[in-house]
Amino acid sequence: MSKRVALNVYRSYTGRRLAAAVLVTIGVAIAAFILLHVVPGDPARAVLGEHATPSAVDALRRQWGLSQSLPAQFGHFIADLVRGRLGSSYFYHEPVLTLIGQRIGETAWLVLGASILAVAISLPLATLAASRQDRLSDHLIRGVGVIGLGMPAFWVGIVLIEVFAIHIKLLPVGGWGDTLWQHIEGLLLPSLTAALAIIPILIRSLRAGMLEVLDSDFVASARARGLSETRVLFVHVMRNAIIPTIALLGLNIAFLVGSTVVVEQVFALNGVGALLLDSITNRDYPVVQGLTLVMATAVVLINLVTDLVSARLDPRIRLR
Amino acid sequence: MDTESLVLTRRKLLSQGAKGTAAIALAPLLTTGSASAATRAARTVAGVASGTPKRGGTVTFARSVAPTQLDPANSIIAGDVYTLDKIFEPLYVTSPSGQLTPWLATGYTASADHKTYTYHLRPGVRFSDGTPLKASDVVWSINRERANKNGPLSFLDFAIKNIKADGNNVVFTLAEPWAPFLSDISVFANAILPANYGGKSEKAFFKSPIGTGPWLLPEWQADSNLTLKANPNYWQKGKPYLDSVAITYVSDQNQQLLQLRSGAAQIVDNVPPSNVASLKSDSSVTLTQFESWQTDILVFNEQLPYFQDRHVRRAIAYAIDTNKLVEAASFGTAKAGKGLFPPSLEYADENVPTLEYSLSKAKAELAKSKYPHGFSTKLLISGGVEKWSEFAQIIQADLKPLGITVAITSLDHAAYETTFQKYDYDMFIDYAINDISDIDEMASFNLDYKNGGSKSYWSSYNNPAVSKLVEQAESEFSTSKRQALYTEIQKIIAQDVPFVALDYPPYIYATSNKVQGFAVNPGGAYRLENVWLA
Repeated sequence: MSKRVALNVYRSYTGRRLAAAVLVTIGVAIAAFILLHVVPGDPARAVLGEHATPSAVDALRRQWGLSQSLPAQFGHFIADLVRGRLGSSYFYHEPVLTLIGQRIGETAWLVLGASILAVAISLPLATLAASRQDRLSDHLIRGVGVIGLGMPAFWVGIVLIEVFAIHIKLLPVGGWGDTLWQHIEGLLLPSLTAALAIIPILIRSLRAGMLEVLDSDFVASARARGLSETRVLFVHVMRNAIIPTIALLGLNIAFLVGSTVVVEQVFALNGVGALLLDSITNRDYPVVQGLTLVMATAVVLINLVTDLVSARLDPRIRLR
Repeated sequence: MDTESLVLTRRKLLSQGAKGTAAIALAPLLTTGSASAATRAARTVAGVASGTPKRGGTVTFARSVAPTQLDPANSIIAGDVYTLDKIFEPLYVTSPSGQLTPWLATGYTASADHKTYTYHLRPGVRFSDGTPLKASDVVWSINRERANKNGPLSFLDFAIKNIKADGNNVVFTLAEPWAPFLSDISVFANAILPANYGGKSEKAFFKSPIGTGPWLLPEWQADSNLTLKANPNYWQKGKPYLDSVAITYVSDQNQQLLQLRSGAAQIVDNVPPSNVASLKSDSSVTLTQFESWQTDILVFNEQLPYFQDRHVRRAIAYAIDTNKLVEAASFGTAKAGKGLFPPSLEYADENVPTLEYSLSKAKAELAKSKYPHGFSTKLLISGGVEKWSEFAQIIQADLKPLGITVAITSLDHAAYETTFQKYDYDMFIDYAINDISDIDEMASFNLDYKNGGSKSYWSSYNNPAVSKLVEQAESEFSTSKRQALYTEIQKIIAQDVPFVALDYPPYIYATSNKVQGFAVNPGGAYRLENVWLA
């Protein structure tokens, strides 16, 4: 394949991925809108209270445009979206983007912390498991991983709090704190909780990737050249295995973003996950719609970047 | 998802709580006071400070509710109300023992025809920016509330014809004599702001609110966590004792209790009854139950033929063992339900006999109905409220011997509310609540089909005799005559059974042992100016 052809293939691949990303985001927006409006519940009642007269409730619904037909409401939603407007919260009386901006920090740090911990824990464990294939440490690492997969995040969070915050008193039980150090301390357990949910997946595929690499000719030749097993493992094998790990992490980011809703709840972090849950409870439609869209866009973007980076690094992917 | 906070984020018109009412002379003019109020005061369980209050320090209050905005005239959800009531105060408040207590007013005089009330402003009260409180601020604030047609509680001011400032007095002229007026004036929605927002725009004002309350909020960020600072100009000299209160939003009940135990928080709200026993054994924690003006109720949809049948409702009332219910689902924290009105409420008459548990009487009653062999029906509950789901299962089991088969439907709170308000239910469990000290709120909202506004709490119970008595009591000013009217109402509904009273739940709070002087009024409010750290 000439360089030019390769570039064209890459461009066409990028184009297809971008189009798919846009389609997915629009799909999420439509699904969120429909699900939200089909489920019973009335934000006007919640804002006005039980004593509100039906006419007051109707008036507020009219003011919010909720008395129109669902397709008409959806039309307004899309028209506003195209103009970059996500509307204002029924409860906070603040623009949705302002609210998200205020809270997205805690969530973004949580996702980042979880990603770092996930890679930092998976990589050495997978290397160990691969290098001791079918021995006790390999079975232990994989076995514990499978058990880990079966534990729900809220339960893992509670156990971690019991151990690290109540018994050892090393870390705070929850909350975001006021200082940078408190933020870091406060993020450790929630990040670990979120990370633990994807670590088993990462270890398994990383281990499989390493075993594949260990079988390849260049490893055999490295060994033949008399390189130490440690050097073979950490320089030659790990470098080749880290790319699929990052890709896999990228693919699991949706799961990670989703799990922040639960993790924030367990650790009393007031990020967008907590805002989403409260807004669903209150039927604060603009906030739920806006947040779903922002979260979906973030996930789609991360996936897109992962895909493109992987394709850049591994030309075979572009041809799929 | 935390459960009890769902309940709290509902309609909440809550009058403010205040500790240390003894320090303020009760107005001798108080007409709604009675002997029973004194006994209720004696029954108030908690918040009794021991020793001399110490000044300074910060308390972190981990709450299950989050504030979204701070305008008293537009608030109804608990997170908003329990935050803004620290900043803004009304003329009168409800004390922890449930009594109306003079606050920004020192008292009032009423005309003989009960159509003119003159409130005397407390001298020396200043807003947190140092501006003195004037009668014109009161007129402006309550007129603002009255004029707000989206105001969740503006209906409470319907009786007011006009308000005038007269020197240091505020004169209310009513369109008709209205007995609950004194209570209505004490609601947080009638709190006093500086007239014309102190010269600021409405939006700018609520971003950095100015009130007469013990606490001030330098800047409102629409954040779930906020820190209230002591108002140096507070009219109760020397209060608040604390320098600041950090209010954090912790929706997970387990996390709340962990924060309390680890010292990250000193006060937590909404302790689930199932956790009471384990907390009682923790010596670093004080668990306090405050009497509430609440009754958990089973509501019948009387638009359905079988619940229109009085014998069916009576049979169900006989069949439900409320003592067993309280033991199993409230873990002994609540009193077993008898009548609709909680005994903590003035004019609730505990001597009125109700249909107490008896399976044989239940069977005999059902035999007299059009459905002697029972029927199949549905019971709607709000998902996530652990206690109600247990109530539902006990009721299901209790009705089985009657041949009444109950299917339980659990919906998320918003869906549940919309569903019963569309009358799309057979039976549902909810709670009746009084947020102000006057029993009329519960009487009219739950029993007055004609004027109550909710068709007797969406039950469609329609007894013109009851509606008439509720109306009569609204313009009756003699305590003994009013008592007679409410006793009569309670006698009728005890036999009619529009609702089965399941229990009278308390507010359960857990505090660090160091926290002194914390008290909650029966409406659910607390102001924290008397809280100090030992």
